[in-house]
Amino acid sequence: MDISGELIIEAPRETVFDRLQNPSLFVSLVDGVRDLQEIDATHYAAIFETKVAYMRFKFKVAVEVVRITRPHEIVAKIEGTPLGIVGRLSATTVTTLSEVAGGTQVKYSIAATIAGKLGSMGQPVLRSKAKEMENQFARNLRAVFEQDTKGLVS
Amino acid sequence: MSISDRIPAGTFGSSPPRLESYAKVTGRAEYTHNVQLPNMLHGKIFRSSIAHGRIRRIDVTAAKALPGVHSVFTAADVCKLVPNPYYGPAFHDQPILALDKVRYVGEAVAVVLADDPHTAEQAVQLIVADYEELPAVFDEVEAVTSATFVHDELKPAKTFADLKHLAGRSNTNVIVEFKLDRGDVKNAWAAADRIFEHTFRTPMVAHTALEPLVSLAEMNGSTLTIHTASQMPSFVRIEIARLLGWPESRIRVKVLHLGGGFAAKTYIKLEAIVALSTLLANRPVRIAATMEEQAYVIASHATTCRIKSGVNKAGRVIARQCDVWWNCGAYADVGPRISQKSGFTAAGPYDIENVLIRSRGVYTNLPLCTGRRGFGVPNLSWAYESHTDMIARDLGVDPIEFRRRNLLREGKEQATGTVMPDDSIAQVLDRLAERMNWSAPFERGHGVMRYGRGVAVGFKAVIAPTTSVATITINADGSCILNISTVDMGQGSDTVMAQIAAEVLGITAQSIKVSHPDTDLTPYDMGTVGSRSTFHMGNAVKLAAEDARSKIEALAREIGLTKGSNYPWSELFHRRYGMQAGNIVGMGTFIPPYAAPSSESGHSANVTPYWMVGGTGVEVEVDGETGRVRITKLITAADCGALVNPRIAETQLSGAAIMQIGYALFEKMDFDGGQLTNASLADYNIPGMQDIPLALVSVFVEGDQQGGPFGAKGLGESGTFGVAPAVANAIHDAIGVRLINLPMTAESVLRGLHKIQGRQWGDE
Amino acid sequence: MIPFELVEPETLHEAVSLLDADDPGVRPFAGGTALMLMMKAGVFQPSRLISLGRIEERFSMISVGARGELRIGAMVPLSTLEYSPDVQSAYPVIADTLRTLANIRVRNVARVGGALAHGDPHMDLPPVLSVLGAKAIVIGPGGSREIAVEELYTGYYTTVLARNELIAEVIVPAPQTRYAAYLKYTTRSAADWPALGIAVLLDSDGRMIRDASVVISAATERVTRLRHTQEILNGKAIEDTTLHRAGEAAVAETMLVADARGSMFYKQQLLRVCIGRAVRMALANGVGK
Repeated sequence: MDISGELIIEAPRETVFDRLQNPSLFVSLVDGVRDLQEIDATHYAAIFETKVAYMRFKFKVAVEVVRITRPHEIVAKIEGTPLGIVGRLSATTVTTLSEVAGGTQVKYSIAATIAGKLGSMGQPVLRSKAKEMENQFARNLRAVFEQDTKGLVS
Repeated sequence: MSISDRIPAGTFGSSPPRLESYAKVTGRAEYTHNVQLPNMLHGKIFRSSIAHGRIRRIDVTAAKALPGVHSVFTAADVCKLVPNPYYGPAFHDQPILALDKVRYVGEAVAVVLADDPHTAEQAVQLIVADYEELPAVFDEVEAVTSATFVHDELKPAKTFADLKHLAGRSNTNVIVEFKLDRGDVKNAWAAADRIFEHTFRTPMVAHTALEPLVSLAEMNGSTLTIHTASQMPSFVRIEIARLLGWPESRIRVKVLHLGGGFAAKTYIKLEAIVALSTLLANRPVRIAATMEEQAYVIASHATTCRIKSGVNKAGRVIARQCDVWWNCGAYADVGPRISQKSGFTAAGPYDIENVLIRSRGVYTNLPLCTGRRGFGVPNLSWAYESHTDMIARDLGVDPIEFRRRNLLREGKEQATGTVMPDDSIAQVLDRLAERMNWSAPFERGHGVMRYGRGVAVGFKAVIAPTTSVATITINADGSCILNISTVDMGQGSDTVMAQIAAEVLGITAQSIKVSHPDTDLTPYDMGTVGSRSTFHMGNAVKLAAEDARSKIEALAREIGLTKGSNYPWSELFHRRYGMQAGNIVGMGTFIPPYAAPSSESGHSANVTPYWMVGGTGVEVEVDGETGRVRITKLITAADCGALVNPRIAETQLSGAAIMQIGYALFEKMDFDGGQLTNASLADYNIPGMQDIPLALVSVFVEGDQQGGPFGAKGLGESGTFGVAPAVANAIHDAIGVRLINLPMTAESVLRGLHKIQGRQWGDE
Repeated sequence: MIPFELVEPETLHEAVSLLDADDPGVRPFAGGTALMLMMKAGVFQPSRLISLGRIEERFSMISVGARGELRIGAMVPLSTLEYSPDVQSAYPVIADTLRTLANIRVRNVARVGGALAHGDPHMDLPPVLSVLGAKAIVIGPGGSREIAVEELYTGYYTTVLARNELIAEVIVPAPQTRYAAYLKYTTRSAADWPALGIAVLLDSDGRMIRDASVVISAATERVTRLRHTQEILNGKAIEDTTLHRAGEAAVAETMLVADARGSMFYKQQLLRVCIGRAVRMALANGVGK
């Protein structure tokens, strides 16, 4: 499953980059992720709980930051093992930042494979969930920078 | 046995109802799913969720701790009983449970045994496996040159001389490559007036037999009894005995009715896991796959087929080169045999002087594959019958006329050098043309709905050589029992075999009881596959019945009766043994003559005991605005030899055609990173009642199959060869769109239309 | 399948009281046909299921109200709806839709309430009842409320119903026009879930279109009313150019979902063409009845 999109953040690229490459902030942008643990500079673990339709899922997630190229690219690999159900979620995410008039364009692309019981559930439901998560992420990211500017003003 | 049973009722060639029909419609027929063994445990399988990787660790502690779970086994446990736990019909490459590696998503890694299947399933969800993931390869063409190797080395079974040279070969995904070299293709191109080259693709498809796989095992004394829904009880016994190092007599395989097979239930599927589970747990075990799970156990090959033809000015194909890649998945199963034994028909039922075929079975990290009611022929005919039509259209020649110019006729050599014994190919084509009213003008329409028609003819060489043995027992009261290991999976074999025996013995088919296969009692049969049973087992049954008849005659002589006496059989026994006692057992063994193709050239003077020819003609309606295709008429014509049971034969032809409607229009297993995403019937559509055209016709081209019992031959697959290409040819006839990949979905048709209209499609 | 508790209350109010607003493992079921598939696939594991099979008989009845409206109890089986003479005479589009809905075995078991509450956008009744202006009477612990069927859905398998609310009744207003149709377009086997479902209700004097109501589903995440398309149709002559522009408007105003039945682009082509076909079906249905 491939998901990609872009959004404009009204903030300079350096600022946006600093924020995004901070793991605890990044994690706070995804609804349902908690208990972030740093294993080393590039490896993290977390718990991800979510609901798809009326089914609840809980994942043990391992994140590896594969490559950081200041100030414009972050590549990460995510492995999720669902608890209580056979399956696996694995994704590679590439986030690129470019300067545009008015701020920074954040482009993201996620290549995800969902295997096991979860993967055979039906792509439309999973896609719909992925879209929902994508929208939440964008909303949360925007909110962070609105907070920032609010903070600056006050 | 009453006098009326003794009066032959014109059994052969008539259509007595199937012997099991009453039991089936009243819900009394016995299926393996209904078998209950006292004290049995229920097994569920933990399967890999990655396509390729080394197994680091399998943690079964949580699963074992679940109340109701009896045990959890992995390959480590299997190896205690079977140190070399690899099996397969041609290559011993598939482990009973994954050993060091997993090679496809869905591969069996562990088995949980519990008091009930729900607890077992719940425990499976608690197993955690840790894999070192490896790169995976999925495409059959790419796998040939890929640096990702599914297997570290090839492991041909030692029993096959033609595969010996492959043992230990490494750094390859090519399991086997079949070569056929006839004439001089390289230089023939120069002599051709026109050259055509096309590449065709078929997807991996599922079998969806309505009865999913199920096997049970139990120990009875020192005998391991396996109850299984299998098309090959004799093979199962041999292979399990080989794995355990036991004599065949210590394994007993019992098969009841099957709810369809189509080759999904061949060789070893669940039998090894269930056998080992029983031995390790010391309890009877039952493992039943769900409908969805079946697709992880076995599927049918995706193929890429490149075909190049040289045609002379007279419209004769003078050279043809075929390159076929079979996507065998992670384990070879019968794939290598398909790539050879169907591979040599890749050039089609045509008389071509110069032929070059390279047919390769290739490993990938996808579910393993076998045939699907055609042993690979539908994959090939998709290519050659689409290609043939494309050539005809390009040359401006009527497609039927073009075929007539090039068909293999009686006395001509097929590409292997084996001579065609009759004109059945031309006869099938002629009957199609006649029933399609081909010479009449055809209205293609001018509005949104367009109409087209198409034909296709394919053929198959029944696999050889194979052996069948039959015994028939006449009891002291004159009643009869036929003991054969042929499996009735809905194709009507019990009835047909009874009819053949009845014809010899001069009794009615209904008076013969056909036992369910039981390897303790029913003798060896290679398997109920490839439309071989009517001919092979039919001949063995005929010989057995003739043997019984001559023994009856000898018994009559022995008690002093003159030839032509009409004493009932029961009287003969009574006189001989003083009471109702004794038996006569007739036996027959049949193996047809065969000459193996040369490993260099693929030539053979006798590559098959008989050919099967099947043709299809369709008329379609195409919605020019949505691309949706409706088949409005479907005619199947097949050479049938001498018909044993016309009604059963008709259902075999129409059943095959209906199955292929799905193959042509919408069936396709979808994979995402090696994970099958449409395993359920809710997502994987198969044809239903409303997909069947109102005009569905089966045409028999009757004849006399040389060497067949009373001239009979198999025809269960003949209705599959022509459907998909005939539909493609009809779509092209209707709207000028040529589809070269299956399935031909509405979207692919509309996309093709946009292309020829010069309109953009999406982002392309 | 983990064992679960099965409760069979004898009144609707008792059923409501057994539901839990916060626990997704507690669920009601009517015929259970959709829920059972989820359970068999192993993706839904209930702790408690509340069967509605024994609640008051009046919820299994169909009646015609004082103003000619059709009142359908939530527990009415789909096959009963299909064969009801009241439904067949007043709303032939409902009976027609049911004829190709799933199969007869499902229709004999599945109920109207469940068909509306499940929330799978491929289902047929939601768009049809939406276009007819139907509303659901929903009962919860706080009392009852009315929700237009069209407004029940928020996404895949998600409705505005709280976990402790139940649909009790569906009311379809008296028919004002005979011009109604449901076009169910399947692209694979004929009995597949639809790739696109279009429900149309309109009025006409034979030359012009009035009061057009167009609702689509299957290709969208939820039942979607095509407002702009309706505007394009209203007051226009019944001719190909109108229908063509309506098709274009439909594509412009929706976001379609790609799946195994078609890519987004293909579904857009389907929508473009099928709007006109559905309108013509509705017009043909209305004539001579």
